[in-house]
Amino acid sequence: MSSALLLQSLILGILLGGLYALLAAGLTLYFGVMRVVMIAHSAFLILAGYLAWFFTVTTGWDPLISLVITVPVFFGLGVAVQRLLMTRLKPASLTMMSVLLTFAIALVIEGMLGFTFTGVQRRIKLDYGAASIELFGAQVAVVKLVAFGLAVLALGALWLVLKKTSFGQALRATIQHKEAAELVGVDTAKVASYGFGLGLATAAVGGTALALDATIYPSLHWHWIGPLFAIIVVGGLGSIPGAAIAAMLLGITQSLLQVPLGTTWAQTVFYLALFVTLIVRPQGFFGGRLAQRF
Amino acid sequence: MESEHLLELVDIEAGYGRAALVLRGLTVRVPPATIVCLVGPNGAGKSTVLKVASGMLVPRSGRVVVQGKDVAGDGPQQMLRHGLAHVLQGHSVFPEMTVAENIKLGGFTVGDKAVLNERIERVKTVFPIVAERWNDLAGLLSGGQQKQVEFARSLMISPKVVLLDEPSMGLDPKTTATVFEQVVRMRDHGTAVLLVEQNARRALETADVGCVLDLGRVHISGPARELLEDPELSRLYLGGRPAA
Ligand SMILES: Nc1ncnc2c1ncn2[C@@H]1O[C@H](COP(=O)(O)OP(=O)(O)OP(=O)(O)O)[C@@H](O)[C@H]1O
Ligand SMILES: [Mg+2]
Repeated sequence: MSSALLLQSLILGILLGGLYALLAAGLTLYFGVMRVVMIAHSAFLILAGYLAWFFTVTTGWDPLISLVITVPVFFGLGVAVQRLLMTRLKPASLTMMSVLLTFAIALVIEGMLGFTFTGVQRRIKLDYGAASIELFGAQVAVVKLVAFGLAVLALGALWLVLKKTSFGQALRATIQHKEAAELVGVDTAKVASYGFGLGLATAAVGGTALALDATIYPSLHWHWIGPLFAIIVVGGLGSIPGAAIAAMLLGITQSLLQVPLGTTWAQTVFYLALFVTLIVRPQGFFGGRLAQRF
Repeated sequence: MESEHLLELVDIEAGYGRAALVLRGLTVRVPPATIVCLVGPNGAGKSTVLKVASGMLVPRSGRVVVQGKDVAGDGPQQMLRHGLAHVLQGHSVFPEMTVAENIKLGGFTVGDKAVLNERIERVKTVFPIVAERWNDLAGLLSGGQQKQVEFARSLMISPKVVLLDEPSMGLDPKTTATVFEQVVRMRDHGTAVLLVEQNARRALETADVGCVLDLGRVHISGPARELLEDPELSRLYLGGRPAA
């Protein structure tokens, strides 16, 4: 591999890793706050992608503007899903049953997308869709930079919410010790539903970022859910910084492997990393003291 | 309604899920400025009593009375507002947060910034470790240091009644002494303490009133001194005769 190609792959890997970090952030958040395994997260990503596409087709405006609508709507949707559905699950079997429940939600979303928009592949047409700029001597597509920028902004905002707001303090306290959080006066039920809303809000941004540079179709979410779960297990379930580090490392590795192995084989890096993690360090590599052991 | 007690648990029946009842008609009364100590064998339901008092567990029947008002059925948030603070058995710091964040979360329900800062300064003086490790992650502290942070955190609401579940577990003698000193000092300032202790003899020496829990009821209760001197009790629950 020439050094120019290596550099190009590395840069693309970093951009990809940033996007993965955003896509996985919500997933690890649901688990951290509620011990919920949210199979439908990637279906919501694709839903957001479709809404961005539909928004651009009907208005002719930039898909990023659709975030003004989709982020609050997804937040509300998350609160509703948590309050109306998740709270019906028995605490003792919550994690297991949440897999079934969210699997069903994913099927419903996929079905509705197929029904509404048909199974035809869609792609957002952008003025800057084919543009690229030179970065450290490598050619980088503008859409990838925009997607990365969106991921950085959204993760930065998430970090601010978690670290600097009183809701964020309550949410982190709930993740770290639920009973103690209740005993200092945190309403953990409310935190759970807002936490779920926050997770889906990241899906709105992530799905839009994803759709900038991808062809979307209703069943695309199955392609994403495996890699995303691999990321949060490697990073340590429930840890957002852990997921971000794992996403970056796996994104870079995948990108570097694409040149010699091709895209299909490079994808296996997620599953390899997942197996190695489960064998060597089931609590994940970057989750710290909180990470759950499977 | 006269209320000579800060906290009363009357005829409490409580348990977990469909399992058999843990508390079967338990009654405990905590007067102001008094340390009441619960002793009893493992699994007797001591922690369960504290959970009922702090609203973590809603009793099937019975009354939970705070300053003359029946508040049975209230959750932890309301109980906190009634002035009850609960320090859990085992470790309950937020490990991935700094000591500072832990202490500030203790005042989560305190709206007034000035009051909050004043209380922070106070717990820092009472527990120097809190000031020393202010910016460290709580999970990195030793077990005994974490316990002190938990205790300090519970004081942030300026509680009327503190529920302490085995505070000396895993503490060295010096730190245990600090915690007991603090308990006594709080009592002297009018706060009531409902204390559960593994080290029953030590606890009864500090406490004003002792209650022996067995089979989900208060088996014997009375002035702590008298319980200590009761030879039968010593044999059954305090592990042998008093040293004296
Ligand atoms: N969360 C729970 N779910 C189900 N059963 C529980 C739960 N917590 C306690 N129990 C049961 O309730 C009974 C009393 O437990 P509790 O923790 O109150 O005892 P304890 O007197 O505090 O014991 P120890 O001295 O060991 O702390 C025990 O039989 C225990 O198995
Ligand atoms: Mg106990």
